[in-house]
Amino acid sequence: MSRMQLLFRLLFKAAWVRKDRALTALVSVAVVATIATAALTIYSDLEGRLSRDFRGFGANVVVTKASGELTADELASIYTIAGSDGEVLPVAYAAASFPEGAKVVVGGADLEKLRKLNTSWSFEDRSQGNALVGARVAEAVSHGGSWQVAYGKAVSSIMPRAVFHSGSDDDSRVYIPLKDFERLTGVQPSTALVRVEGKPQDIRDAISRLSSALPNAEVKAVRQITQAQAAVVGKTRSIVLASSAVVVVLIMLSMVATFTSSVLERRKDFAVMKALGASNKTVNFLFAAEAALLALAGSIAGYVLGSGIAFWIGRVNFEAAILPQPVLLLPILLGCVALALIASTAPLRLLQQIQPAGILRGE
Amino acid sequence: MFLRLLFESFRRQKRRKTVALLAIALGMSIATAMIAVGNDIGDKINQELRSLGANLVLTPIEDTLDVNIGGVNLKPATEGAFIPEQDLIKLKSIFWGHNIKGFAPFLSDHQVITAKNGEIKADLIGTYFAQPLRYGKEEFTTGVRSVNPWWKVEGEWPPDYAAWPQNQPADVLVGTKLAQQNGLAIGDQIEIGGKSLHISGILNSGGAEDQAVVAPLHIVQDILKQPNAVRRVAVSALTKPEDNFARKDPNKMTPAMRDRWYCSPYANSIAFQIHEALPNVRVEQIRQVEQNQGKVLSRVSGLMLLLTLAALFAAALAVSAAMAATIIERRQEVGLMKSLGAGNAAVVSLFLTEASLLALAGGLIGFLAGAALAHQIGQSIFGSTIVVHPVVLAVVLCAAVLITFLGSVGAVRKAMSFDPAVVLRGDA
Repeated sequence: MSRMQLLFRLLFKAAWVRKDRALTALVSVAVVATIATAALTIYSDLEGRLSRDFRGFGANVVVTKASGELTADELASIYTIAGSDGEVLPVAYAAASFPEGAKVVVGGADLEKLRKLNTSWSFEDRSQGNALVGARVAEAVSHGGSWQVAYGKAVSSIMPRAVFHSGSDDDSRVYIPLKDFERLTGVQPSTALVRVEGKPQDIRDAISRLSSALPNAEVKAVRQITQAQAAVVGKTRSIVLASSAVVVVLIMLSMVATFTSSVLERRKDFAVMKALGASNKTVNFLFAAEAALLALAGSIAGYVLGSGIAFWIGRVNFEAAILPQPVLLLPILLGCVALALIASTAPLRLLQQIQPAGILRGE
Repeated sequence: MFLRLLFESFRRQKRRKTVALLAIALGMSIATAMIAVGNDIGDKINQELRSLGANLVLTPIEDTLDVNIGGVNLKPATEGAFIPEQDLIKLKSIFWGHNIKGFAPFLSDHQVITAKNGEIKADLIGTYFAQPLRYGKEEFTTGVRSVNPWWKVEGEWPPDYAAWPQNQPADVLVGTKLAQQNGLAIGDQIEIGGKSLHISGILNSGGAEDQAVVAPLHIVQDILKQPNAVRRVAVSALTKPEDNFARKDPNKMTPAMRDRWYCSPYANSIAFQIHEALPNVRVEQIRQVEQNQGKVLSRVSGLMLLLTLAALFAAALAVSAAMAATIIERRQEVGLMKSLGAGNAAVVSLFLTEASLLALAGGLIGFLAGAALAHQIGQSIFGSTIVVHPVVLAVVLCAAVLITFLGSVGAVRKAMSFDPAVVLRGDA
């Protein structure tokens, strides 16, 4: 039997004869690897996932021109910067008046896009009409059907398609299609409501790009939304990181304790080997190889399981799978193996100070 | 005899017992910390979401439409209706008064401002900054500084004057855009409606206020000659995210359901209660804020719940594996006991008693360590304490006993299944 064969036999037998002990060690490594993989996978994807939930808050950037209108070029560069995921809604406003003289703000915009951008508004659909009417306007013109608004000498008839509640100034406004608005007032959009998709950092980048692309316009973040998004996403990331760090460290301690105690349990094996003439180096190597193999098997199983858990959490909580991160595989394998090596070789040094005969006698 | 066995087992196997105790304590501190953090995360994130500002807005029912374009208010201050300022304190009298985290009244008008460089037309907005108020025995401060936390001021916030200050101009804020365009700086004097004002700070709000003068409410009421008048109130309330029950029509509920609805802090039930306290006021949810924060909240809480479940499962696995290992190692002891005539019941009861003692001690240590960890996490991330509910101790102790039992029972049965003679020879 060659040396190599003997080594494999020793390693294999040690695990096979005491299956329960090997299994305990394997489970403890696998648990560490599983939790570490799941937490890190979720953590790396969390910012993007959570940022999507801020989509419903509507526009997060507003571009306005103090004087004049947004030119076709300016609009084109807004569309480019907002990207295909973002939304851009050019809006024009004017103060019109009811026949009895009261003023009302009329906005011109693409009504479908307006609804899509403000998903939080509640809409009560009416008959086939041409306008989206704010709740307070609808209340002020208590008679149903259509009514007239005048802008200078031009008059337009408003027929509600839907009445909406927003809780903002928009409740006092009427929105009509941009074409009708331009025909009525001759005014072109000077404001663009922009919804930039992405992480807080992406939004900041888009705002600075917009500002430099549009020197004549004012680009403003809707600060309450961007700020809340940054706060919530940031704090959630930190809490996930902190709590998983706590869990991983504690489970790691428990794994170290399991490995150490399983080596100490085997002081008789150790003593027999020494008594049969094995050198310290050989014994160390044998124990280390065993620990490394167990750790390797455990951490691969843990990586697979942890990626599965992250995938499942993504499905259940974010309605979109969180994909495995291959980058994590190597650090987790190396970390687990290194930890197992430290945990199993440290007690050996302790044993080496005792005479094998003493151990075999049971001292 | 039983007690002596138990006692000696602990005395003679200190190392083994320490490892088991350590494993249980570690597992249970994970459980405690994760349960505490997961349980509190909803409240904590809800507080963070208050940086979205107000979620309810009050306007007078009789009011005419707002005429507001590009942040400029075109409606004359004399037109429309007002909410009496002294009624606002009634907001605190509603059933969910404690959930009203703050409110800020607003009164604004387009005014001519006389500055050193000439005349400017801009909005004058009056509000509370940090107005101290008293409701019954409760004292609190409210205003834009808490309701709109994203407002930033360079310089000093003006005080909330009760009346005109004697012999000196009143402090006001000037929006950053307005200041830039007109060369206004901190320390300058301006004049509105014949009253002189002193700029104490430059306001950066990111909104329409950047082009306005923002002054204490009582100063603006005085300038506009509208004492006690408020045009709009922004209310920041802690609400429960809207669910299916909240979307039902309260008028069609049975009395029992209606009571439950009324006693839940949904935005619409709080709005209903405000309307009861202030009948001439229209209460609208700021839907952009109110509809979305629930979604964000449920995502974050859901994530923490799932992570907590995963961590608890891992802790349970680690604890029961450690327990199983310590018992399997004691096969010889089992063999000896059985060969001396001990029945299965005696052996099992000894091991399980040991396990439960370990579980109780480990659970207690773990609970204390976990509570400390949760406290630390809360302090470092949210700057506020995460309170560990005492009921978690009971849960953790029960869980510790249950998990160690589960880990032990299988191992004890396995240890007993061996033939004592074989085990004692050392062959098994």
